[in-house]
Amino acid sequence: MKQIKWLSPLLYLGILTQSGEALAHGAHITYQEATGIQIIATYDQGDPMNNAQVVIYAPDDPTTPWLRGETDSQGNFSFVPDVNQPGNWDVQVRQAGHGAMISIPIGAASSNPETEIITVTTPESDYTFRQKILMSVSAVWGFVGTALFFSRQPTKKS
Amino acid sequence: MHIPDGFLPPSIYLAGYSLTGVTTWYCLRQIRRAAIPPEQEIPKASLLTAAFFVSSAIYLPIPPTSIHFVMNGLMGILLGYYSFLAILIGLFFQAIMFGHGGMTSLGLNAVIMGFPALIAYYLFGLNFLPLKLRSFLVGALALALSAAIFTVVMISFIPADIDADVERKAILFSLVGYGIQSIIEGIFTMIIVSFLSKVKPGILTDKHETNS
Repeated sequence: MKQIKWLSPLLYLGILTQSGEALAHGAHITYQEATGIQIIATYDQGDPMNNAQVVIYAPDDPTTPWLRGETDSQGNFSFVPDVNQPGNWDVQVRQAGHGAMISIPIGAASSNPETEIITVTTPESDYTFRQKILMSVSAVWGFVGTALFFSRQPTKKS
Repeated sequence: MHIPDGFLPPSIYLAGYSLTGVTTWYCLRQIRRAAIPPEQEIPKASLLTAAFFVSSAIYLPIPPTSIHFVMNGLMGILLGYYSFLAILIGLFFQAIMFGHGGMTSLGLNAVIMGFPALIAYYLFGLNFLPLKLRSFLVGALALALSAAIFTVVMISFIPADIDADVERKAILFSLVGYGIQSIIEGIFTMIIVSFLSKVKPGILTDKHETNS
């Protein structure tokens, strides 16, 4: 009988550890794996938009903010969209009148549990430095060509 | 200083396009009535449009963000009524190629940068001070005016979805950067104008009576 008395606390302990929940003060912590979105907000030249305001609009109600927040010192902001609201989630990052707005398409039930990293640049552009140089040169050549066209000497008709 | 799409109510973007439309019509009318034929002025306007287009890619790191040259004062002095059209075309290319500003905000951005260019043209023609000082003041004032219009528009239409106090403070803080930029652009305008007055004075006297 004495042995049973000593064993009973151990049995309780065994039951508690099997349940996998912490009962101290009735607190519960559960977690669920979900697809998150990490936003990296940068200015066009690459500097992070630190402490910029972030407003997220869900597809169900694109006029009322679903979430508001602020980027960290590196211009990062993370959120987990509600998978029950598939569609385009609008994200606006704004600071001192500058910023950008992008639409992030979120599928119904994403099978990818990893966090998706989306870079929001202001202005929104994904061109590389070389592409930008090439585009600038072509546009400048267009202007120079226009200048040359209008400054040409009139030719005499033979 | 480019306002992106989706930041302001649609009515403001429409008002921007209306103002730009009327101003474009007025500038074209003045160009048609001018003594100098457009064929002679277009090469100069086209080259300065190229300079304006490229200027948005040159950044100077001035807190809280970084600034890029606008040079709308210099455009106004050298181009007169062509300056508004040159800025409009430059902004169009900046928007479609690099996303600086947007297509719905194009009219408003043209107002922000083009109106001060026209004011710079009028002021420079008043001959109120020696050439160097006048070109500095006009160059600095044009940028300061652009910053002022930008600030007033952005502060007047802060959406309810964001923290208005934080945004207002950030916009007002950015005025420090624009103040520094005004001085830099004023100095740059002074250097270019005084250089042109020596090597090619005709480029200035075509439109203004220089008083150096």
